[in-house]
Amino acid sequence: MALTTHPALKITKGRYDDVPYEEKERLFGQVKADPRYDDYLYGCYECGICVAACPSARFYDFSPRRIAQATAREDVEQVYEQMNDDIWECSQCFSCLRCPRGNNPGGIITIMREVAVNNGMATAKEALEGYTRIIYKIMGTGTQVSPDMLQPDAFPDWGPGVKEVSDQLELWRKMLPPETLHTTNTGWAIEPKTIMELYVIWHATGALDMIKEVDANLHMILEEMMEDRLEDADYDTSPVSKLNEH
Amino acid sequence: MSIPVEQILSKKAKFERDPDAHVPEDFYEQVFRLEEEGEWIVQRVPDDFIEVPTKYGRPKKVPRQPTWHHKSCGQCGHIPGYSTSIFWVIRKLGLAYEDPKDQTSCTAWNYYASATSNAAAQAAVAMRNFAAAYETGYYPIIHCGTSYGHYKEVREELLGHSDLRKQVREVLGRLGKPMVMPEEIVHYSEWFHAMRHEIAAKQVIDMKNIAVTVHPACHYHKLVEGDAIYDPDMYQGQRTSIVSGIAERLGAEVRNYSTWFDCCGFGFRHILVQRDFTRSFATLRKIQVMKDEADPDVVLTHDTGCVTTLDKSQFAAKAHGVTASLPVMSEAQFAALAMGAHPYKVCQLHWHSADYKPLLEKMGIDWEKAWAEFQEDMKKIERGEQEFLTWEDVDA
Amino acid sequence: MPSDAVLIVGGGPGGLEAAANVLDLGGRVVLVEKHEKLGGTPIHENYAALTPYFDSAEEGMQRMIDRVVGHPNADVRTQVTVASQEGSAGDFRVALSDGSVVEAGAVIVATGFQHFDPGRETQMYGYYEHADVIALQDLESMLKDHNVVRPSNGEKPKRLCFIQCVGSRDRRIGNEYCSKVCCGVASKEAIEVRQQNPDCKVFIFYIDMRMYGYWENQIYWPAQEQYKVQYVKGIITEILPKDGSLLVRGEDTTMGRPMEVPMDIVVLSVGMEPSKGTREMAGMFEIPQNKYGFIETAAPPLDTVTTAKEGVFVCGAAVGPADLEDTISSAGAAASKAVALVRRTAAAGAPA
Repeated sequence: MALTTHPALKITKGRYDDVPYEEKERLFGQVKADPRYDDYLYGCYECGICVAACPSARFYDFSPRRIAQATAREDVEQVYEQMNDDIWECSQCFSCLRCPRGNNPGGIITIMREVAVNNGMATAKEALEGYTRIIYKIMGTGTQVSPDMLQPDAFPDWGPGVKEVSDQLELWRKMLPPETLHTTNTGWAIEPKTIMELYVIWHATGALDMIKEVDANLHMILEEMMEDRLEDADYDTSPVSKLNEH
Repeated sequence: MSIPVEQILSKKAKFERDPDAHVPEDFYEQVFRLEEEGEWIVQRVPDDFIEVPTKYGRPKKVPRQPTWHHKSCGQCGHIPGYSTSIFWVIRKLGLAYEDPKDQTSCTAWNYYASATSNAAAQAAVAMRNFAAAYETGYYPIIHCGTSYGHYKEVREELLGHSDLRKQVREVLGRLGKPMVMPEEIVHYSEWFHAMRHEIAAKQVIDMKNIAVTVHPACHYHKLVEGDAIYDPDMYQGQRTSIVSGIAERLGAEVRNYSTWFDCCGFGFRHILVQRDFTRSFATLRKIQVMKDEADPDVVLTHDTGCVTTLDKSQFAAKAHGVTASLPVMSEAQFAALAMGAHPYKVCQLHWHSADYKPLLEKMGIDWEKAWAEFQEDMKKIERGEQEFLTWEDVDA
Repeated sequence: MPSDAVLIVGGGPGGLEAAANVLDLGGRVVLVEKHEKLGGTPIHENYAALTPYFDSAEEGMQRMIDRVVGHPNADVRTQVTVASQEGSAGDFRVALSDGSVVEAGAVIVATGFQHFDPGRETQMYGYYEHADVIALQDLESMLKDHNVVRPSNGEKPKRLCFIQCVGSRDRRIGNEYCSKVCCGVASKEAIEVRQQNPDCKVFIFYIDMRMYGYWENQIYWPAQEQYKVQYVKGIITEILPKDGSLLVRGEDTTMGRPMEVPMDIVVLSVGMEPSKGTREMAGMFEIPQNKYGFIETAAPPLDTVTTAKEGVFVCGAAVGPADLEDTISSAGAAASKAVALVRRTAAAGAPA
């Protein structure tokens, strides 16, 4: 029983008081049920070494220690707050693997993020705004970053070099000795068959379905594109057997 | 000096690893056990390999050749001199390698940034790439630090969860690909470390006046921390010796600074959608500190994200009075320059943001002449005399 | 042939106390010590004062030595180790490195502990990189010399800190236990530093403060109240050089913010591990060790000294982290059980 569920113990009004407790419990349940959860969370003796090493803790009111503590205590209310307010500050650098207990707060956050995305939480969608083109790039073309993403309006703070690159892109890409790098819309020249194999993976593992919750339009575009490409090939794209929850 | 202080200092002079010391469980035996149980094939490191020491003492095999190169999308996309330098050095040493088209991005950037993926998808992508390498008979080495760290994480998850293996096997089955786990997961910078003596033997530029600071990538040494190079001859085995080892071997002076263990601030999603964090962190916690405390001629690192972050963040910071400017590159590009590589045709430094010209001057490289040569070759392509710059054009 | 002697391996506080008890009971002792001097770790590592009474380590050990050395029934051999053994309870024949063979009815292993080597698993504290990062026992030797200075430049420190739990309570290192004494010892040393260097500020970075029983008011409260030692809950992640000092990075957890502060000297509160001698004797006498390498007692918690091998007893830090009073107590228990066994087998006229 979490510390703050008893009405008499509530001193201040919480930001998510209007969300029913059962909903928060359900979401925490999904986090706990993830097969990786037991690998990432043992006990916590609040030593703070994770915060000491954490880059995000220096600039945000963010604490991997509080994530580990809230989940270890099974404090449903706190975890729900964190899933909304905190998890997207994490830099996923895994400096917090300094933990002497073997905890992985960054990993716990990865699970929390996936649950947030899977459930279409508003804060998750907000955090991923502006990220759509990257998801399109990786899921659609097989490479995460392409040369033509270096546009001055996308990276204005990187300096005048970006404009130079984007102006000269075609030519400069031809000035690369490695044969696979003469591309502009993908990182390197990738086999069409390879891309199809990636599509099968997105379908079979349910990763494509996750996009639906974040950005329905993007999902539609991707789905159509993949269907098109996969049409003549003979792959089984149905979901694989689910991982056992515990 | 008092006797106690003398005794204390002599006791702390050299670290000797205790053979009785408990060593955390290593993945290595488990990988082979699963092969015995018929769960997957272990792709052996080729006979031509070099051994390097890892954190808890287990020797790691680094293949010398033939290698299959798992490229980095960030490198190939935005800093192509990085990938080019890696291939150029291998070619100069006359070693066999494959630059595959049957390779996808590791997709870890997306995974860490947006969580729009899951453990099964990530593992399937990794294993599909390993299978593709296995099918060529060449041994995979990984270019990006995050790909490397992530694949180590995937290996750990696969070793620990039979369900996950089952799922991945099902997916690979549909693709007609075998289930293969490499004996070792090797990062290209481990190859450069293992090969540093051979590389130094071909050195033509004297680096003894060049001071460097090293930034070790978080994902290289913090994820599955036992599987990273720790050499007792460098930092007394107290810090990972990657990048520092080869910089020192090439004669450069490696200088210390007080935020050595700090992340660069890449943040995965932050560098795209919360950029104030990334550029503040990179410039205030890393670049400015390096400049103030070490004043190096160049910052060396060994990961795509780190090069990108440290190099590209410096411009905007000027608006806030952070005036420190340091050129940033990978140790691959640095080693290539040391071996006489063309700064533009091979190292492709024109894609970098922070000013590298003073560094080249200090190395005795005439960048004006080099740029003119590069422009000459560009004109040939514009005129249609040749389609692309080739390996012959860069003497490899 | 049954023997009435008790062989004691190790001449530290455990071995000396066991020997004194055996002698008091009218028994015979052969005590074997690998170092030149008796007194164990407090002597070899130059401990200043003992926790928690602040009495001199050297004088304390000397009193223990005086009870044994020179006693007609005590055969004390220094710079000698056990080379091999055979036999069984009541009738052991043990070959020593000085070429002799000793007959003993019982054996007490009192080979103690060694300090965790902080360079071993890179905790990023730079013990082998920075002159001014030292361990608890290094500070002890300077305190004994009444000359606590920065090893790097011989200057008196203005800011000194302790980092607790180094090498203990850590799943990755594998020492998943608390070394029991380091909180008390660090606080004791903190008080001594404040006494000897009143201008020096002293900090202790900890996870928990383990102040058992009377230590609470013998050490902890005085450290805070009289000597103004500053306790901060938050363990340090790394130490790096900056501007001529050591930069220490942690989180001040009770205030909930990251913290980066300069220190002149950093003292690592290293934990206890089984000594080489403990590991060797475990193998030599074929007694089981636990997963940390300490010698296992066969029936804890009600019997703290009997091993699985009949006739072989163990005491002190060879069993696990122990403070001085633990060691004295278990040494007495081992002595009485050893003597009882020796007399039983002698009475039966044959090996037990």
